[in-house]
Amino acid sequence: MPAETVIEVKNLVKNFGEHQVLRKIDFSISKGEVVCVIGASGSGKSTLLRCINHLETPTAGQILFHGKEVKNTQKDLSAYRSKVGMVFQSFNLFANMTVLKNCMFGTTKILHLPKEEAHSRAIQHLKEVGMAPYINARPDQLSGGQKQRVAIARALCMNPEVLLFDEPTSALDPEMVGEVLNVMRDLASKGLTMIVVTHEMGFARDVSSRTIFMDQGYVVEDESPDVLFVHPKNERTKAFLSRYMSDQQQT
Amino acid sequence: MSSIIAYFTNATGSSPGAQGTTFQWIAYIAGQYKFMFLQAAWVTVYVAFLGTILGFLIGFLVGIVNSTKIEPDDNVVKKALLRIVKVIIAIYVEIFRDTPMIVQGMVLYYGLRDNNVMVTSIVAGVLVIMLNTGAYMGETVRAGINSIDPGQTEGALAMGESHFGTMFYVVLPQAIRNIVPEMCNTFLTNLKETSVLNVIGVTELFLMAKTAGGAYYKYYESYLVISVIYLVMCFVFNRIFRVLEKKMKGSKDYVLAAEYMNTDE
Repeated sequence: MPAETVIEVKNLVKNFGEHQVLRKIDFSISKGEVVCVIGASGSGKSTLLRCINHLETPTAGQILFHGKEVKNTQKDLSAYRSKVGMVFQSFNLFANMTVLKNCMFGTTKILHLPKEEAHSRAIQHLKEVGMAPYINARPDQLSGGQKQRVAIARALCMNPEVLLFDEPTSALDPEMVGEVLNVMRDLASKGLTMIVVTHEMGFARDVSSRTIFMDQGYVVEDESPDVLFVHPKNERTKAFLSRYMSDQQQT
Repeated sequence: MSSIIAYFTNATGSSPGAQGTTFQWIAYIAGQYKFMFLQAAWVTVYVAFLGTILGFLIGFLVGIVNSTKIEPDDNVVKKALLRIVKVIIAIYVEIFRDTPMIVQGMVLYYGLRDNNVMVTSIVAGVLVIMLNTGAYMGETVRAGINSIDPGQTEGALAMGESHFGTMFYVVLPQAIRNIVPEMCNTFLTNLKETSVLNVIGVTELFLMAKTAGGAYYKYYESYLVISVIYLVMCFVFNRIFRVLEKKMKGSKDYVLAAEYMNTDE
């Protein structure tokens, strides 16, 4: 049964000056899918994610949301972004607001929901990530793992159709990676559509419904994780995975 | 208090005369002109305060415009408008930073009056302080805005907030916190700089000291009196600002919301 396509990326090209970071990317994600994007640093994974959210304006190509092109106008972008949440490597919680205010910002200022509803949504999602007792804390009073869990709750408050994760655990101390990945596993099992750029191969293998391997601005392989991690077809995928495995054996 | 003044002023209230000591003269002038000095101190604070506040508003406008980048995919009208405004701002900032305030005062006051805009010297004085403060604060505000981590902006934009809303709700509140110490400094500087406005007849402390000193040819004593007044005013404002800054920083502690503690899992 073909599920409904939510986001479709067509011929996406992104240049930074002379440097071509993304070279004609095509891919799509359907409702309920969890797509993990892996690859070496500098392969264009994060840029792809940022282009999907239009934080980087694509040089060429299209982003389609439910089959409709997202235009580069304030109105289009606001409507689109409020349905496509983003979780950042560096959390990006608003430093001038408490945890609760962070989680109520989008619902009150962008979706214009009544305060009570915004509040109950915030509490509900903070409970989901285990951060409800910290509603009065400011971001600078929290640990990295706690901040990232709040950031996920903040994104969930918007009731997004898709949630984009840009290396959500890369800035965390090793002992905090688990708590964030657990929250993400939980979300995946609840059927949330997610695109996750990550270096956590274990997470990609266990949780994703599809894994994309990127190299030098190309999508090299787009497969189910069972195939990609066990029988990679492309030489570059093989090389990347074997390098990763040997690194892991050393540590 | 009156007995002390009476002691210094020969108990009669008449001037110490040629044999009077410096102390006697200081006390005499302070006593004779105390209401006028108070009045002048009020004018000083009033002009400095109003000029600084209005100047901050200009400074914020200048800083916000200057920190707005022209994006390649903005439409033509926005690009053109932004460029024109930026040029106007650049000229304004350059003029006010590269000329002395005392000269600006003369040009503005007499320039306006000669063109039949009958401003009072107080209004002209406030205008000069305002335009000066705006020219200097613009750069402070721009730096304050640029010091905020771009991630803060991205966090808001990625949720669907507009550029304006992002600036208003997320960036500016954080930038203001960073520039508050500089704002306090600017006010204290302005408090002292109002003294140049005596050239256009603003009856602030300097002009009052000139008047009082001139009446007896006792300039040294007279200016010493206003030195003390300036010093006390700046000292008091400085302390008040420090307390305010401390308050703004907020406590390092936070309270866990007990009502959500056991429902955590």
